[in-house]
Amino acid sequence: MNKKIVAELELAFKDIEVNTPQDTRVEICAREEQILTVLGFLANKGYDHLALISCVDWIEEEEFELVYIITPYLQENKAYIEKGDVFLKTRIARENPEARTAIPIFANAEPYEREIHELFGVKFSGHPRLTHLLLERDYEIPPFRKDFDTRKYVKDVFDSIPVIPEEEE
Amino acid sequence: MDRKAIKKWLKDPEKMGNKYSLWAVYFCTGCGIIEVPPVITSRWDAERFGVIPVATPRQANLFLITGYVSVKTLRAIIRTYEQMREPKYTVGFGSCPINGGMYWDSYNTIKHLDKYIPIDGWIAGCMPRPEAVFIAVTHLWTLIDKGMANAYKKYRKQYKYYRRNQEMALGKLEWPPLYPISKDE
Repeated sequence: MNKKIVAELELAFKDIEVNTPQDTRVEICAREEQILTVLGFLANKGYDHLALISCVDWIEEEEFELVYIITPYLQENKAYIEKGDVFLKTRIARENPEARTAIPIFANAEPYEREIHELFGVKFSGHPRLTHLLLERDYEIPPFRKDFDTRKYVKDVFDSIPVIPEEEE
Repeated sequence: MDRKAIKKWLKDPEKMGNKYSLWAVYFCTGCGIIEVPPVITSRWDAERFGVIPVATPRQANLFLITGYVSVKTLRAIIRTYEQMREPKYTVGFGSCPINGGMYWDSYNTIKHLDKYIPIDGWIAGCMPRPEAVFIAVTHLWTLIDKGMANAYKKYRKQYKYYRRNQEMALGKLEWPPLYPISKDE
């Protein structure tokens, strides 16, 4: 199914790992500095739609894993590459995490990167506005990290707000 | 009209008028709003009970808070509540506004809504059936009859505590206080 794109990827990039865990899925593990090149390569090959950027917190390995899911979207590209998605994975350090923005290649990466910045604290260099997307509060530890203690947070913040006293007669 | 009710009408027409024409603000918080369209349309027909949803809070006097309240929604709820005309009645719908429900340990969901705005009554359940809305409405009638549905008066009297709690949850509020706050404490 995807032998063509796998062969092309292996030809173009020497030091990336390409697997096909399913018929309709290609999984690429690359280093962080290669991400933009690989994304640009795939975009030229017809994978023209960035479906999602996701983030995984590997707390024991002290790493974040960014997952870019890209897929052919336009009809002419669907005919050209049979079908299937590409999962492009990269690992970055958990301490002061920083990655390059994918906006130059996929403009719709902007909200995904803002969300990851908000929930995991990953900084995307080159992003035009890394502000809050969904949340209002500022958290000491971004709330989707594994070491964020939700129960302690609720106890400290919401449970500490006092009950309204009854009216004095 | 029920003949027995004529006496009540003559005795306190304002109360009876409030009771049988509740205008609910069509405000959607969380998942509970999915129960409201069947409630107000032909299947259950809330108009039998005098409940009609209206578009803006300035025309409404019943506020159904349907479902979980995130921090951002709380801001909108307070602004909506303060715009409603008196007498105004609030009903918390579902278990999430009561104590957080299944979001009891969430980092961004308000637990205990009655710390921020006054609530006249609660409908427990996740989700409550549409019939529960009518049970709540009839209970609200009883409360209005007895003069016990006075959460809006509590809001007026205890406003400084409500405002303090709102500021604790939301940070600095960008609108001025609804009622004057005495500076003596």
